[in-house]
Amino acid sequence: MERTGVTIRVEGLTKHFGKVAAVQDLSFTAGPGVITGFLGPNGSGKTTTLRCLLGLVRPTGGEAVIGGRPYARLADPLRTAGASLEASNFHPARSGRAHLRIQCRTAGIPQSRVDDVLELTGLTDAANRATRGYSLGMRQRLNLATALLGDPSVLVLDEPSNGLDPAGIAWLRGFLRRLADEGRTVLVSSHILSEVQQTVDRVVVVYRGRGVAEGTLGELDPEGEGLERVFLRLTSDTPAEPAARTSGREDR
Amino acid sequence: MTPRLVVVEIEKFFSTRAWFWTALLLAVVAAGAVAVMGLAAPYSDPPLPGIDTDQGVRAAVGVTALLAAVPALVGVVGMTSEYQHQTITPAFLAVPRRSPVVVAKVVAYAVIGAGYGVVAAAMVAASLAGSALVLDVPLGAGAPEIAGMLLRVVMAMTVYTMIGVGVGALVRHQLTAIAVLGGALYFLDQVLLVVPGVNTVYPYLPGGATAALTNFTLLAEQAGSETGLAMPDLLSPGAGAAVLAGYALAAVAVAVVLPVRRDVV
Ligand SMILES: Nc1ncnc2c1ncn2[C@@H]1O[C@H](COP(=O)(O)OP(=O)(O)O)[C@@H](O)[C@H]1O
Ligand SMILES: [Mg+2]
Repeated sequence: MERTGVTIRVEGLTKHFGKVAAVQDLSFTAGPGVITGFLGPNGSGKTTTLRCLLGLVRPTGGEAVIGGRPYARLADPLRTAGASLEASNFHPARSGRAHLRIQCRTAGIPQSRVDDVLELTGLTDAANRATRGYSLGMRQRLNLATALLGDPSVLVLDEPSNGLDPAGIAWLRGFLRRLADEGRTVLVSSHILSEVQQTVDRVVVVYRGRGVAEGTLGELDPEGEGLERVFLRLTSDTPAEPAARTSGREDR
Repeated sequence: MTPRLVVVEIEKFFSTRAWFWTALLLAVVAAGAVAVMGLAAPYSDPPLPGIDTDQGVRAAVGVTALLAAVPALVGVVGMTSEYQHQTITPAFLAVPRRSPVVVAKVVAYAVIGAGYGVVAAAMVAASLAGSALVLDVPLGAGAPEIAGMLLRVVMAMTVYTMIGVGVGALVRHQLTAIAVLGGALYFLDQVLLVVPGVNTVYPYLPGGATAALTNFTLLAEQAGSETGLAMPDLLSPGAGAAVLAGYALAAVAVAVVLPVRRDVV
């Protein structure tokens, strides 16, 4: 599929909630055709960053743009960027199909897309059931289906592997890879390195609202000390312990 | 205003069963209240005017305006459930300018509120006719006059539903919003009615304005006779309607401005 690539750019982004500095002077980019992992422990500002990027939260400073524009100024937002946020953005009494139909109509997207995205995410059989009966994994699939309604060039996914079993994670990996191979820009957040390690091409690591690293997995770990250790070192206040002691503890 | 988005709001409203139960509740209570007022009037102490008098019909219809709490509640839930279930997030992702979504919500709920009003009015009319039949008395008001009274009930319910949406946008937390609405419409109004000096504002509160619109003075009269206080005069029906319209506009302003400005987290 031919797509003109759309780049996500975050520049000096800062967001304060009262006294809490959720995001501080964060900058990174995510380009088309690759899967960019957005990594950091809980509370490090990932969700806030993504919500700023999607125009849901107003930044205190800096900017976050998609194809050079703030989300709110995109001519056709859902056809440009699809998003999946927390595990539930649906009314518990509505069916998955009703949720998608409502979203289609809200965005002015043809209703025929509903069956398409249900098929893509393997939700067809559950589509007519109320979402209150959905497992966490099904909710994540419905979130993905919602994100795909506009067949967007950019996908912004907040912790999409949360609640998925290993088979679900493997499915998601293949799914995201296909989307990226089609030339889409895929930005995926996670607080668990091992869940995305095999999925992503590049990573942006945040800690306490600040960017602490950005690059390909190889660039992040030039010495080959192991991504896990690099990640832990980047996302803690104390310098890493000597390798011997760490492995000693793991042996127990 | 985007008609497509109004259709979406109506679709959301009918996508769960709540509309049916609330409409049924309103229908049953409206019919019941009128029947009780009509059938019990001859035996009540102090005596209520019977439905064979103009005043009696007016009282029976006016009582149903008090049931505007039901559609007001529907308005509150319509707005707060968007926050409770975070369905506001996909809506604002689809329409990042936001205001078209909330304007459509208010418009849709004005229509929905009028719908509840029509349900209530139909039940009141049927119940009045039934009571007259049972008591074997002619109704104290003609059909056009009763239709006019019922139209005012529909207007009041429309406005209360919009106020509900506004309160929902202001408070967002569902139970808190319900408490605020109930407290403001039913407790505050009635309390202020019997506080000397302060009760001069009663005519300008939603309850007082509704009483003026429906020409329903029973509550004020009763409060007056029980407390021995001088009751403020209600506004004229036209002025009551204007005050209610003012509340509706304020509700629209709140419902549109706040969600557009605030962070969605
Ligand atoms: N609405 C909010 N009000 C106050 N503080 C918030 C709000 N949302 C997030 N925070 C705080 O901002 C920080 C970053 O949170 P978040 O962006 O959710 O991190 P992550 O998604 O990486 O777990 C945390 O300290 C969190 O408590
Ligand atoms: Mg998060």
